[in-house]
Amino acid sequence: MKVIKAIYNFIVGDMVILIGVILAVSILALINNVGALAPLKGFSGPFLIIAVLASLVATLGREAFSSQH
Amino acid sequence: MQWVVATAAFLASAVEFVESFTIVLVVGVTVNWRSALLGALAAAATLALLVATLGTALVQWVPLDVLRTVIGTLLLLFGLKWLKNAIMRYAGLKARHDEQAIYEETRAELRARGEVEASSSRFDLFGFLLSYKSVLLEGLEVAFIVITFGLSAASSTVSRSSGITSAALGAVAAGLLVILAGALVRVPLANVPENTLKFVVGIMLTTFGTFWLGEGFGVEWPLSDAFLLILIAIYLGASFLLTVWLKQAKKQQRAQSIENQAVPATEYSKEVPQ
Repeated sequence: MKVIKAIYNFIVGDMVILIGVILAVSILALINNVGALAPLKGFSGPFLIIAVLASLVATLGREAFSSQH
Repeated sequence: MQWVVATAAFLASAVEFVESFTIVLVVGVTVNWRSALLGALAAAATLALLVATLGTALVQWVPLDVLRTVIGTLLLLFGLKWLKNAIMRYAGLKARHDEQAIYEETRAELRARGEVEASSSRFDLFGFLLSYKSVLLEGLEVAFIVITFGLSAASSTVSRSSGITSAALGAVAAGLLVILAGALVRVPLANVPENTLKFVVGIMLTTFGTFWLGEGFGVEWPLSDAFLLILIAIYLGASFLLTVWLKQAKKQQRAQSIENQAVPATEYSKEVPQ
């Protein structure tokens, strides 16, 4: 458990960023591999950028909010 | 030589080397230079071994597309962490790294342990381990950036090796520069704009992480590699807006806390008979 925590802290150390990136990667994987979602492939790039920005806004918002309290 | 890779590795390494240099300097001044330098050299050798073995293994056995997806994800996580911390420091939500304070604090801790200004060159295990640990921990981030950046920047096995070499050269150049500057001034390098460097590296890692992760999933970026500049512009603009937003949030927070303190005091003064 300690090893996993150390790796987590070393690579990201922030749950919001981790969840945001994992969600983005999972959705991209779905778009890439599920036939029904193939028409969305053209939106993969913009989606990835928006997901990255959303993760950044969410984590900073959480920090600002928690510091206010 | 891949200059973008070398530059990113140079900037990231410079920040980490400045941080570890502070501890090596304290050990050198407070314990002795022999233990400090041996610890730093041992850690550098460990890191070089790590980059050489891990880098070679990845170059030989992992297909490029898989590598780009996995490493793009890791770079994105790493880059967002650096970017978040840099933006928080700019907005005043997080204290800036103060090398002078760290120097004084570590020195006081060593003194409290009973160490004195060392004129002897006797090997000291504690000093060695402190120096080794600090260089190894800070250097692990550099090793991570050298491997991931070096591998992802390339498109074939041959240039993958050259990517790692370029990144490693950038890191070595940063290390030499910090050691040279430190040897000349012999004080903590407090004037290095660490937060700006971390911000630039955060933007670079996030940009390349996004680009390579997209490519790993078959995204065809418009304008090909030139889209990297657009990504940099997007993330720079977003960071600027976020910093302004956080600064305003902090101002409001201050105003609110002053207001909250003032209201009970006014109510109390009204209740007190004159």
